[in-house]
Amino acid sequence: MASRGGGRGRGRGQLTFNMEAVGIGKGDALPPPTLQPSPLFPPLEFRPVPLPSGEEGEYVLALKQELRGAMRQLPYFIRPAVPKRDVERYSDKYQMSGPIDNAIDWNPDWRRLPRELKIRVRKLQKERITILLPKRPPKTSEDKEETIQKLETLEKKEEEVTSEEDEEKEEEEEKEEEEEEEYDEEEHEEETDYIMSYFDNGEDFGGDSDDNMDEAIY
Amino acid sequence: MCMDQTALRLPSTMTQAEIKLCSLLLQEHFGEIVEKIGVHLIRTGSQPLRVIAHDTGTSLDQVKKALCVLVQHNLVSYQVHKRGVVEYEAQCSRVLRMLRYPRYIYTTKTLYSDTGELIVEELLLNGKLTMSAVVKKVADRLTETMEDGKTMDYAEVSNTFVRLADTHFVQRCPSVPTTENSDPGPPPPAPTLVINEKDMYLVPKLSLIGKGKRRRSSDEDAAGEPKAKRPKHTTDNKEPIPDDGIYWQANLDRFHQHFRDQAIVSAVANRMDQTSSEIVRTMLRMSEITTSSSAPFTQPLSSNEIFRSLPVGYNIAKQVLDQYLTLLADDPLQFVGKSGDSGGGMYVISILTSDFLRVRQPVLFGSRCARIFRLVLQKKHLEQKQVEDFAMIPAKEAKDMLYKMLSENFISLQEIPKTPDHAPSRTFYLYTVNILSAARMLLHRCYKSIANLIERRQFETKENKRLLEKSQRVEAIIASMQATGAEEAQLQEIEEMITAPERQQLETLKRNVNKLDASEIQVDETIFLLESYIECTMKRL
Repeated sequence: MASRGGGRGRGRGQLTFNMEAVGIGKGDALPPPTLQPSPLFPPLEFRPVPLPSGEEGEYVLALKQELRGAMRQLPYFIRPAVPKRDVERYSDKYQMSGPIDNAIDWNPDWRRLPRELKIRVRKLQKERITILLPKRPPKTSEDKEETIQKLETLEKKEEEVTSEEDEEKEEEEEKEEEEEEEYDEEEHEEETDYIMSYFDNGEDFGGDSDDNMDEAIY
Repeated sequence: MCMDQTALRLPSTMTQAEIKLCSLLLQEHFGEIVEKIGVHLIRTGSQPLRVIAHDTGTSLDQVKKALCVLVQHNLVSYQVHKRGVVEYEAQCSRVLRMLRYPRYIYTTKTLYSDTGELIVEELLLNGKLTMSAVVKKVADRLTETMEDGKTMDYAEVSNTFVRLADTHFVQRCPSVPTTENSDPGPPPPAPTLVINEKDMYLVPKLSLIGKGKRRRSSDEDAAGEPKAKRPKHTTDNKEPIPDDGIYWQANLDRFHQHFRDQAIVSAVANRMDQTSSEIVRTMLRMSEITTSSSAPFTQPLSSNEIFRSLPVGYNIAKQVLDQYLTLLADDPLQFVGKSGDSGGGMYVISILTSDFLRVRQPVLFGSRCARIFRLVLQKKHLEQKQVEDFAMIPAKEAKDMLYKMLSENFISLQEIPKTPDHAPSRTFYLYTVNILSAARMLLHRCYKSIANLIERRQFETKENKRLLEKSQRVEAIIASMQATGAEEAQLQEIEEMITAPERQQLETLKRNVNKLDASEIQVDETIFLLESYIECTMKRL
């Protein structure tokens, strides 16, 4: 519709088609021009269709709300990492802040997924059954700190295994990024991680433990 | 945006409204991280892992986690491209299906009772599961609800599962091909999953023996079970899983077919009578497995076959059936068509009917507008004057309505020139309905509506967050006090921690949230009808 109330330009409302054919007779009052955006909540002209009610409606409604709640509790609901506080607190050690090492809470069938999606996890002996998150030794590849590491890991004997596996673990630790103190290094961390798995030649695969914990390596 | 030449970027064909709705759904069900990755893939098309991480500014680990969840739930698929690059692609329309989960579950309940209901629910909540896993979970859940001492037998759950598979409501997922030969060389970066058509509903021979177990009752139910108590991996891993690697998922198409059948039957019942609708229902049931979900017609059925398949209680003579069939075939709505005479007359059911659209008109513009719309739809093309005459609506009102519908694109204007120079005074201007575009437009509005409903509901909940948390805490305290046998007076005291105006506020909140949820469900029904219609029509073109 080319007609505009306002008559800008030469002549008033010159149209390319015959108005009468469309039904606007000469002299008919046209609706007023729109000068502002339509109101946010215009009054409802017609009554809306009634909402589903009755037994079926109620049941489906309850079901919907239940599902919503249920899905939030499932391990598929990934919560963003809790922002780390400035200072380490003693209570942190006793709080289960989330899945270990950014790994997944549930157990996908890795045979069905691309290999690149596996997240390497430093394997703990008793894994998730323990509530206590052990203090993870800082990442290092230097010998001096390795010794300190050895001391630290020996400290927490009850959560670790035999010294044999200690060595294997430290080997792994060298290659992995375990984060806990400086959490702002997380970004930096992940890049290292990425490079690690990119160049992963499979040497470590299966060599970590003889236990039957097949979900250990991610 | 990263200008990575190696990643094949397909332009997204989703509208903003659909993307917004997907975003809300993903966020509600899986959290922000999954939402970020999912929406990114929907917008940009197929991408590899590194590019996703870079473009979204998310850590690689987070992206991996999100992708695992999305793939598990059939919302994202992957493909190995050349040079071993794996690319991930989102299935936007599948995300939108999450709106319909309650309806799928409820439908199963009506067909296969509580056991069936829980089977489908577990499959939807977990994306995919092995049969043994489903049976165990469902048996445990059902046992929880039974009286003390009673348990649910695995065999019963298995039977229901088999029935669901037989009627195609659940189907097998494509699986990792078994390679007998030891393939030399490195394993591929990602498996290529395959499924044989004939295996899709094949239930593995399992002898699942056992009964459901009750959860160890913990009094602090409000706090939920602390992670340590859940023996996640230890018990399951000890026994070998008999159907390892065979995963099942809900077959959404089959549910859609069921919904469609229901809609047809009720439309026929509304228009004609109970008997006609029963006949149509019988015809549909006979065609259940043989008709693909998006076929515009069923396979032809002979009236003899129909007669034999009528439900046992229905005693109508063969001639009566034939009369009904003729009536149905003659109906201008064309639900049923005659397609031959063998076997006493062959009949098909036309899935495609624009009846669906007509129902929705009154909601938007009022019943008079709907009348006009129906008229134009039926007559295909009408002039202004004709509309007024046929609809018997005064000219002014008719004009008003026509223009309203025109501005909303339900109706369009077509020019038919009488003379080669297309002079306006010598041209016909006809109103016409382009059903397909009207349907699309309506669908778009529906997506927007639901997005608004969800946002409003989230807003309402957020506004009252503090109060909701307080009320939950109080409930938890009361529950634990009741368990330890507190007195009535003490319980009263705790309850009074929530003041009367606060109670009022909670009541109002609950009412509003219920209304918003119910509206979502209702709009999704419309979405289903429109999508089905569009899909069918496109197949025909």
